[in-house]
Amino acid sequence: MIPRVEDDYDDEYYDDDDYYDDEKPAAKKDDLPPDSLARKTVRGVGEALITMGLVVLLFVVYEVYVTDLLSAAKQEDATAALDSEWSSNVVTPPPADPNRKSQLNLIEGKAFAKMYIPVFGNDWKFSVVEGTTDKHLEIGPGHYKDTAQPGEAGNFSIAGHRVGKGAPFNDLDLLESCNSIVVQTQTQWFVYRVLPMSSEVQGWATNPKSKEAACAGVAPLSTTLGEVYAKTVGQEIVVPSQGEVIAPIPHQVGATVPADKQARLLTLTTCHPRFSDKQRLIVHAIETKSYPVADGFVPPEMTGA
Amino acid sequence: MYSWIWRHLPGPTVVRVLEAVVLALAVVALLMFVVFPWAEPKLPFNNVTTQ
Repeated sequence: MIPRVEDDYDDEYYDDDDYYDDEKPAAKKDDLPPDSLARKTVRGVGEALITMGLVVLLFVVYEVYVTDLLSAAKQEDATAALDSEWSSNVVTPPPADPNRKSQLNLIEGKAFAKMYIPVFGNDWKFSVVEGTTDKHLEIGPGHYKDTAQPGEAGNFSIAGHRVGKGAPFNDLDLLESCNSIVVQTQTQWFVYRVLPMSSEVQGWATNPKSKEAACAGVAPLSTTLGEVYAKTVGQEIVVPSQGEVIAPIPHQVGATVPADKQARLLTLTTCHPRFSDKQRLIVHAIETKSYPVADGFVPPEMTGA
Repeated sequence: MYSWIWRHLPGPTVVRVLEAVVLALAVVALLMFVVFPWAEPKLPFNNVTTQ
């Protein structure tokens, strides 16, 4: 683009113009010092720097916009594969079982559930894939292998990108306590609610918010399940090495609590602050409800908040 | 660099402009679909998981 402008100037624009032809261009050309090596070098370096700057800008465009497009296609494929799988194999919803165990056959890189966050709008839906490598997370939010499955006791943990690649967890910091996060498997809907924030733990019982319908079944876990859950609050910011946030009982890696005493948690992780990987933003939620999947049935939480 | 490329593009000005545009697009495409996807995993700011 730059050379075009430069040369047009000399060859075309001015040379063809009678008015200028007589005086200025000729004089101008002669005024220029000869193309010395130093001139060439300085110009070459300048052009190289401008070019590198453009490449960096282009990379930002790629990261923030182009990867969105590439990931959208992959997410669509994964969803289509999941839909066709769900429609082809017939499974009856299991009876409500308080001690249900993992029952999904999770295959790395394949979607196994759909996830909705109604407060982010009706169009916020993603198919969750198994695995959290770069490749998996390009498709959509990824389930940490070896963490609990949806609706299972323990900690169903999901990682997702905050910037680019579809940025599923872009607005994760905006989630407030009691906001619902709905997970759908082939047979069941699970409604998770964000736990009270650390600032709300004190005095939750007297907080008017706790009386809201959305907060039914939501209370600081330290009050309902004991001190072992004292560090499990709605949102936290940790350093990347703190893998204990996705432990069955967050922050209690060595804890030996029988599965039937464990809460059914959902944990979302993404990078923090935005555009950085210095820290991780963590959101913890607890299962408050589940429904069997039925034709035409949509959980009321999907339309409410 | 840029003027050198311009001088070496064949044809009249209109054709050269088209050639320059095609050349620029080719470079952008090469960056977008080959270089950036290769470089991206080597850069740190996209990690979202905990270890």
